Amino acid sequence: MSLLRYTLSRCLQAIPVLIGIITITFILVNLIPGDPIRILLAEGDADPAVIEQLEARYGLDRPIYERYFYYVIGVAQGDLGQSIYYGVPVLQKILERLPVTIMLVVSAFTFAISLSIPLGVLAAHRKNKPTDHVSRIIALIGVSTPSFWIGLLLIILFAFHLGWLPSSGMVYPWDSPDDVRFLDAGHLGPILVDIHPQLAVFYQTLRHLILPTIALGTLQMAAIMRIERAEMLETLQRDYVELARAYGVSERTILRRHAFRVAQLPVVTIVGLNLTSALGGAVLIETVFNINGLGRLIITAIQNLDYPLVMGTTFFFGVVFVVGVIITDISYAYIDPRVSYGERE
Amino acid sequence: MSVGEAQTTEQAGEVDPEEVEGEDLGWRYSLKKVKADTTARFGLYVIALMGALATFAWIDYYLFDYQIANSLWYHPARDPDEVNQLLPPVFDSEGTWAHPLGTDSRGRDVLVRIVYGSRISMTVGVVATAIGLVGGTVVGAVSGYYGGWVDDVLMRIVETIYSIPFLVLIIAFMAALGTRDVMFATIGVGIAIIPVFARLIRSRVLSVREEEYVEAARAAGLRDRKIIQRHIIPNSFAPVMVQATLQIGICILIVAGLSFLGYGAQPPTPDWGQMLSESRNYMIPNPWLSVWPGLAILFTVMGFNLLGDGLQDALDPRSR
Amino acid sequence: MTDDPLLSVRDLKTHFFTDAGVVQAVDGISFDVHEGEIVGLVGESGAGKSVASKSLLRLIHAPGEIVAGEIKYRDETIFAVEEGPDGEPVPREEMLSNEAVRRRIRGNEIAMIFQDPSESLNPVLTIGSQLKEFIELNTDYGGKAARERAIEMLHEVGIPDPADRYSDYPHQFSGGMRQRVLIAMALACEPNLIIADEPTTALDVTIEGQIIDLVKELQAEYGTSFLWVTHDMGVVAEICDRVNVMYLGQIVEHAEADDLFYETKHPYTEALLSSIPRPDQTTDSVEPIKGNVPSAVSPPSGCRFHTRCPDAREACVEVLPPIERFQGTNDPAVEQRASCLKHSDLGYWNSPPISNEARDASMAEEPQ
Repeated sequence: MSLLRYTLSRCLQAIPVLIGIITITFILVNLIPGDPIRILLAEGDADPAVIEQLEARYGLDRPIYERYFYYVIGVAQGDLGQSIYYGVPVLQKILERLPVTIMLVVSAFTFAISLSIPLGVLAAHRKNKPTDHVSRIIALIGVSTPSFWIGLLLIILFAFHLGWLPSSGMVYPWDSPDDVRFLDAGHLGPILVDIHPQLAVFYQTLRHLILPTIALGTLQMAAIMRIERAEMLETLQRDYVELARAYGVSERTILRRHAFRVAQLPVVTIVGLNLTSALGGAVLIETVFNINGLGRLIITAIQNLDYPLVMGTTFFFGVVFVVGVIITDISYAYIDPRVSYGERE
Repeated sequence: MSVGEAQTTEQAGEVDPEEVEGEDLGWRYSLKKVKADTTARFGLYVIALMGALATFAWIDYYLFDYQIANSLWYHPARDPDEVNQLLPPVFDSEGTWAHPLGTDSRGRDVLVRIVYGSRISMTVGVVATAIGLVGGTVVGAVSGYYGGWVDDVLMRIVETIYSIPFLVLIIAFMAALGTRDVMFATIGVGIAIIPVFARLIRSRVLSVREEEYVEAARAAGLRDRKIIQRHIIPNSFAPVMVQATLQIGICILIVAGLSFLGYGAQPPTPDWGQMLSESRNYMIPNPWLSVWPGLAILFTVMGFNLLGDGLQDALDPRSR
Repeated sequence: MTDDPLLSVRDLKTHFFTDAGVVQAVDGISFDVHEGEIVGLVGESGAGKSVASKSLLRLIHAPGEIVAGEIKYRDETIFAVEEGPDGEPVPREEMLSNEAVRRRIRGNEIAMIFQDPSESLNPVLTIGSQLKEFIELNTDYGGKAARERAIEMLHEVGIPDPADRYSDYPHQFSGGMRQRVLIAMALACEPNLIIADEPTTALDVTIEGQIIDLVKELQAEYGTSFLWVTHDMGVVAEICDRVNVMYLGQIVEHAEADDLFYETKHPYTEALLSSIPRPDQTTDSVEPIKGNVPSAVSPPSGCRFHTRCPDAREACVEVLPPIERFQGTNDPAVEQRASCLKHSDLGYWNSPPISNEARDASMAEEPQ
């Protein structure tokens, strides 16, 4: 089976799941007691005519089955509806908040992977020696610690106590220098402002990103490190590695060429899954650091009973997850020569 | 030649006196190994400690309606002015031994609240995992054993649940029920983790299903349900035990996150996640408020992880 | 055959220090391999054969350790220890370092063929690249020349379209083909000795026959010596010049191949031979060896086979049988050795028989 056919077939298989997501969300959301219109008009304007008008506008006066049906049709055409609370198309709202969440998640995973893979390999290589024990302890603490707590501690230490880094908010590398407050904050701030303002913007982005990255990335780093170590250990015991040793291959080459590649396969799967689910899981970090990302968007939407927004965002998460799984599977099939598209273990 | 039943030197690393008839390692042997493993034992002690604290808190909650707690929380006989933002004595000049870890914004002793917070965390962790385990086992066993369209449908549903981010799913679930009660949070978490167990059980069932003794049982006319009960589930036990132990830790983390967002235990019930949420407002006056609840979570979850790791090592010696 | 052996093993002991006790996998074996010959090492699973062969290349890892003995290859000492100041074994001066063993011996001089072809090849590397890597490491060929040599060796072992198959992955080969690849690897490095650890066990009989024929051809052509580890007496009969029989970590009999079959001197060997089905006998005469292989952590006292030997007597429980030497019948130049009290003057014939599963079974069959 070719790559294209495999991708298509997986996408087709994903459709029932996506419909399932819409359905479950729809059910849940519509069970929520309360009236979104009333929340919208919190100021107390209870003029029935206005309410009726708004209800009609958002289709809330139609029976459930109709709403469901039209919603699914709409989604198939790319229309995720209109946010009741914000008054703009759901898709637009999502895309507004998407970049920062992506930035955060990518940054956190880069941090996590660049530390965890080398550490995991090292720990496996030096099994039961001090290096291994220390790494394992660090990893154990890492997977046992709540990420938002790390965030809090980091803020207390680096923002309040030391004053080195900002405690909340976000700056984007593409922001215009004029839009950024405190462009000259931080150790290098003043220097960079003089060299070139956009560099300073970059710098401020980094300053805002570091703490959330560490907070979000620590758990991932610990989890990946453990898997990496376990996989390397498992692979290093395999017959083909022993064969390489029997032919005089050096331990370094064995690690690098014979063991590493094979060990990565399950790691790729886990990283792929974790990354896609981290998009939603970042909500805690976004809350701690006051970052306006997708996670916070959906929580607020639930609180505001903003049905379309909740459903649209959940659906979006679902799509991302499903796509992520497909991409992960394809990458796996690409890397592992034993697997050909269409034949999976 | 009787090769399989005796110890063989070839498998020197996996010598197992209890191994008989190809079934999983005997319980007694695993338990022995876990006891011998110091880190796993430590995990067990931690869990026992937190379990004891939680039980104590439960008793007070249920039987005495928090009377004990109330007498400890405030020290009305003591200095009524010493209310806000006290700091731990060992560290800070303003601390006192009456409140070793300080007090919170309402003057409540932090140490006591931490002790009582264990009630929510431990209970939710265990109950949610139990729900997920039972639900997941049923789904996974049925799915794996029968295969075909049953498998497809069930797995699709499982995937759907799995693709909605945890927190979103649970919060939506609770909002749908119009409640912020921690009991529903527990159920929500339990449902959210069914996919984890369903997949695990299913893959074990798939591999065990092909084993010969299952064929033999089927040939002997054993009913499907009996086969699943008597042969398949006991042999899938080991990795499930490991996963369940680790999962309790994960659930504790999830619930802490939920409480942090305001969807778990409601004030005035003490809960670690909720205490952390409160502490955000007092980060400058009393940063220590943010430290202790987090440490409690870390400590407890670590206990479960240590035990889970120990169990895994005991059941699969190669991963040491 | 020259007098000096290519490989000389004396009193080799390899133990595994596990939680359940010390597994004495190899407990004092001695044998030689001369140039140009194929020496068999046979025994049941668990006799310690694989451990022994891995020990030769010092491929033993924790919790295992080679604790005593001497392994010499030509005039290099692969392994030798002496007793240190605190009683712990200490490497002798002339023992090669790990690095030296890796560089000079492994692959170059002594190569190994593993048992399970499905697990012995790295799934993410093409067999060509694996071959090339080993060739470059162990011979003077490099780069393009190594690649060509690899293709040449694939051809030698009978793989069709070797140039194309060079870039294929192991899973694209059948079991028999993979074993041929492993043989190609071994031969390509031009070693003087190849240790073949049950190379045909995982293959079905027809393929096994092909592989054995191939090995015989190649051996005749290249003159490589073989240490052939197996539990299959049929293979031994076909291919070995001399044979060592191992039981529970010790060598109980050594003989030239025909002598082993027709002038058997040890009860265990006899039992092994009786347990194989032969085309000229009915299955009635096939007798599996009674009893189970005892624990290698606490092996039986005296002669280790006494728990399953139909001829065991009390003396066998107490006395460790010494190695008795006989002149070879088929080839007088090849000494036959056996460790059985029947051949020693240590009171075997005077001591009463003991009861064990084997004796009870044989008594039951022969009413007296």
